[in-house]
Amino acid sequence: MNDTLEIGGRRLKSRFFLGTGRYPNPFVQNEAIRISKSEVLTFAIRRVNLEAPREDAVLQHVNAEDFVFLPNTSGAKNADEAVRIARLAKASGLSNWIKVEISVNANTLLPDPVETLKATEKLAKEGFVVLPYTSDDPVLCKRLEEVGAAAVMPGAAPIGTGLGILNPYNLSLIIEEAGVPVIVDAGIGTASDVVQAMELGADGILLNTAVAKARNPVKMAEGMKYAIDAGRSAYLSGRIPKKRYATASSETEKFLMQR
Amino acid sequence: MRLEINGKPEETLAATLAELVGNYGLEKELVVVEVNGKIVDREKWKGFELENGMKIEIVHFVGGG
Repeated sequence: MNDTLEIGGRRLKSRFFLGTGRYPNPFVQNEAIRISKSEVLTFAIRRVNLEAPREDAVLQHVNAEDFVFLPNTSGAKNADEAVRIARLAKASGLSNWIKVEISVNANTLLPDPVETLKATEKLAKEGFVVLPYTSDDPVLCKRLEEVGAAAVMPGAAPIGTGLGILNPYNLSLIIEEAGVPVIVDAGIGTASDVVQAMELGADGILLNTAVAKARNPVKMAEGMKYAIDAGRSAYLSGRIPKKRYATASSETEKFLMQR
Repeated sequence: MRLEINGKPEETLAATLAELVGNYGLEKELVVVEVNGKIVDREKWKGFELENGMKIEIVHFVGGG
């Protein structure tokens, strides 16, 4: 079956978006990327450290042609700062995709809904393919779609917490009402969280810490890939209803002992 | 000449943006440069003359989620 995901005119085979932060080293990161089969990789934009200018440039370890780059606006505290970072990212010539990420609370890193909406609208008008990281609010997700988001990315839980899907009800409403792809972003802890999101009908998953900080990041990347496939297949298949009492799965006629 | 580069005061002998970026060995790296809040495209670095007090940002991609 041809089950592809289309965002901003780009057709993707993989529904796994992988972050590039916090891996133990570039080798492990590259192996995780390879085994994940991800086609979309996220990055951040930062000042070059002028004391060691070539350090930390993550792209020197990645073959640019193989991926869609999704830079984020992390570090932005409001829409104007996010727009500024987005323009810098685009000026690199690598990508016109942008993950709007505007956090103001240092403890939760939850996205500022008002500023996220403003930045999404502005950047969409400037021709960016905008994927806002947003709170899991169905009304807000719809508003983001209306101002031009190419996909919406509600958080499962705060970034890096690994708490899994805190509000599956909200998430299912977002998915039900969305006219653009829904990518569950942030807060994933392990494969079962991914399966749950995909079974709810999410179009994809963006995660980073759950892989990068796992004891074995490469193996976890593989597990997450299978979880996406498993959840997606189950979603497309239509699960059986839950029932209170048993129904035999073996034939109930012609038992050997029957008289 | 005194500039502010990535938030810190710096002394430089570079006359153009291209020279400045080259001094850090970054001319071939994937960096983006902003001067006084405006992005300066790579092809304009050579002809871009620096002036005392300019605020310059040199940024690149790093790992992130």
